[in-house]
Amino acid sequence: MLTPMLAEMSGSIHVGLAGLGSAIGVGLVGMKASEAVGRNPGAFGKVIVLAVLGMALAEAIVFYAIFLVH
Amino acid sequence: MQSLRLIIASVFLICAPLALLNAAAGESTPAAAKPVVVAASGAAPAAPVEQGIPQSAQSLGRNGGFVTNSMLVTWVVALGVIVFARFATRKIQEVPSGAQNFWEWLVEGLYGFLESIIGPGLVKKTFWFFATIFIFILATNWFGLIPGAGTIGWGHQGEHGFEVTRPLLRAGNADLNMTFAMAMIFFACWTVWALQFSGVKGSFLHIFGPKGDSTGVIKYLMIVVFFAVGFLEVLSIAFRPISLSFRLYGNIFAGENLLEAMSNMVQHPAWARVVFGALLPVPFYFMELLVGFIQAVVFMLLTAVFTALICTHEEEAGESHH
Repeated sequence: MLTPMLAEMSGSIHVGLAGLGSAIGVGLVGMKASEAVGRNPGAFGKVIVLAVLGMALAEAIVFYAIFLVH
Repeated sequence: MQSLRLIIASVFLICAPLALLNAAAGESTPAAAKPVVVAASGAAPAAPVEQGIPQSAQSLGRNGGFVTNSMLVTWVVALGVIVFARFATRKIQEVPSGAQNFWEWLVEGLYGFLESIIGPGLVKKTFWFFATIFIFILATNWFGLIPGAGTIGWGHQGEHGFEVTRPLLRAGNADLNMTFAMAMIFFACWTVWALQFSGVKGSFLHIFGPKGDSTGVIKYLMIVVFFAVGFLEVLSIAFRPISLSFRLYGNIFAGENLLEAMSNMVQHPAWARVVFGALLPVPFYFMELLVGFIQAVVFMLLTAVFTALICTHEEEAGESHH
């Protein structure tokens, strides 16, 4: 049963895994950023700069998987 | 300072044709027309696998040449931005209004923003680069969303009317050559600024030298540890141009591909193809506006942060301007 299942999965599983990690990473950054702004609403400007930076770095991994493999 | 800019500009002008020749050889992108499977095959059981837009930009000449449609867009955008800036500042007034007001707001806003991130001394020296990169990337990203970019061009008669396979205008940053060129220019500027700030010995010590105070045996152990860490740092620094270029390219290319897929999603009733082909991409256009803006901000922020990281004096590291 395993072999037909493996045969069904066609070669983009590395993109799927990279997308999974990347999306979870971005979500974690967003979660913590919202929490920080909730605790200290005056720090919105500084928090959003750090949050955008962190999200961009986390999101870039999926592009390596899409374009740099094979 | 002027000579530095002249050197950088001439290096760019000399390297640009070389990069374009690479584009002709097609070696810097993985595949010329890798088919991107789009989830539109659920629309009808016998629908073929849809082809998204090709990964590399197509050349404008009929027999192939090194000028591509993305290149044309970057020239158009650069010319547009320069002409607009010159037009706005031809008679500078004490109290600005109209276009001059817009440019003053943009430049002052960017200057204040960067000053809070990299500090006042460094921003005086490097603002020209970060502001240019932000304005240019933003303009190029948004230009690709104008109706006509990607849809007017050469093609062939398909089953549903004329299909454009070689558009005249294609989003400028949906071409890896462009983003890689910008990342490499940043890398050259970064090297020059690092050397200007601390010299060769200072930069070497910044990367490989021990940080913090430790005495006795621990001090010698720390020297070894920091030396090993320096190699990891060099690896991370060498990877930065690649990550910068792929981030921008991936976001913009994925956006263009998504818009194309959404336009082509409904195929079969002819009236539905026209109606939904126009309606479906609309929310994604808004998303692409946002993504274009965010990617310009991110590119500028990341390059600014990388510059600030290498241009800090060790004893002032505790009082950074965040």
